[in-house]
Amino acid sequence: METKPSSYSTNLVDQLVCPGDVVLDLSSMTNQTIKLGGGLRQDCDSISAMKAGRLSFSKPNKYWVENSQKRYVPHAGDSILGIVVDSRSDNFLVDIKGPAIAFLPVLAFEGGTRRNIPRFEIGTLLYVRVVKANPGMNPELSCTDATGKAAEFGALKDGYMFECTTGLSRRLLSSPTCPVLDALGKKISFEIAVGLNGRVWVNATSPQTTIIVANAIMNSETLSDAQQRIMVEKLLKRIQ
Amino acid sequence: MVFEREAETTLACGAQTSFRSRRRRTQRHISPSVRLILRMEYVSPEGLRLDGRRPMEMRQIRAEIGAVSKADGSAIFEMGNTKVIAAVYGPREVQNRSQISNHALVRCEYSMANFSTGDRMRKSKGDRRSTEISLVIRQTMEASILTHLLPRSQIDIYVQVLQADGGTRSACINAATLALADAGIPMRDLVTSCSAGYLNSTSLLDLNYVEDSAGGPDVTLGILPKLDKVTLLQMDSKLPIDILENVMQLAIEGCKAIANYIREILLENTKQLEYRRGV
Repeated sequence: METKPSSYSTNLVDQLVCPGDVVLDLSSMTNQTIKLGGGLRQDCDSISAMKAGRLSFSKPNKYWVENSQKRYVPHAGDSILGIVVDSRSDNFLVDIKGPAIAFLPVLAFEGGTRRNIPRFEIGTLLYVRVVKANPGMNPELSCTDATGKAAEFGALKDGYMFECTTGLSRRLLSSPTCPVLDALGKKISFEIAVGLNGRVWVNATSPQTTIIVANAIMNSETLSDAQQRIMVEKLLKRIQ
Repeated sequence: MVFEREAETTLACGAQTSFRSRRRRTQRHISPSVRLILRMEYVSPEGLRLDGRRPMEMRQIRAEIGAVSKADGSAIFEMGNTKVIAAVYGPREVQNRSQISNHALVRCEYSMANFSTGDRMRKSKGDRRSTEISLVIRQTMEASILTHLLPRSQIDIYVQVLQADGGTRSACINAATLALADAGIPMRDLVTSCSAGYLNSTSLLDLNYVEDSAGGPDVTLGILPKLDKVTLLQMDSKLPIDILENVMQLAIEGCKAIANYIREILLENTKQLEYRRGV
């Protein structure tokens, strides 16, 4: 189907919407294909929002609501941080802050066989990838990338993990690099793992640095770019 | 019945002179139980209510999002002196395995703080009133939550009344709506609720405690403002059908006013949290 820019469809883009707001009127835009992302639903001839957030549009035809929340909704392909809550004979049960416990098959590791099943204590923090997220069944995780390589996935030792909103974690992963991480990275060295489910793990050589980095990230949520850089400078003065 | 008749007679002899004209005007469509409350004046001849409001005036409303940091979504909602806090947890794993279904399980717990009323009372947790209100809130919220999108999960709504001054039911629903929106739970629309009553042959919007305990008709209404649908309609006492329509219309106006306010608060909150991505 051909896509042509309709005057109505761009009305609410980049505006804040509330649950129930009619975002698009399909009857006025025939012969057009659109793709709906999270936070939008179709109700007969209209597309309405079901979450509060900013309506975003990406060319040519994708619409979604950009929101920030404390709970995570699993999607296939997301890299997340999970905590092992139990281990069964064929699965590890992992808490991912989602609506259900996720399963991590014991064989979903690089070169995983029945012989070399990894041992994880309850409470181990894992950097994992969501493989399946179908409604009606528990999400499935994997500790390998799409090609079967370990590629940074696996248990995170030492360091410090804190929870934040999904919005903040998405912002930390966005490119160009988020101003907090950019400013911090110029002055100090640290390791960071950001999960899309609103969990962030930080590790550095000294505990002071770890705390500074964690605080800077948590503070940055409601600050603008320039404010973030100033805040980071202030924090860094304390350890120099 | 005997009590009613007695009340009628007292009314007849006691207030004969001053109320005669007004009574004649209203007697035609008022049931005896309503006549009983005419003894007290809820609307002054100048058209002001006991707390100085006009009949169609709402109490001042205030809302705040994010009152409980550990909860997934939370809000405080105030209507005049009524103050309610709501916290939402979920969607999370279903606690009772036998309740797993294809739809999200919505649970609601309503409670009143011991210090919320004038005389401090220690109530048991599961008394009839709170069980009933929990059920009402749950059903109202369930109508707006898109439960089919969250299979095999559970959403817990906890509402507590911090100060009670009439209209706690409505305030709880409004607080729960805000908390659910804060938690990012998919909803059809923002449910809002407001009460209205009929005293001294005047329709009154948003009854306070004194007006509520007058025993007159008290209509609590919950609507989905964008979809123009009613999700909750409750009434104590009796009301002729033609007056009910007026009173309900008044309550709808109230709900819409609250919806506008809630919307503003929610947008303000998202604006604060929102970030510029790629801008």
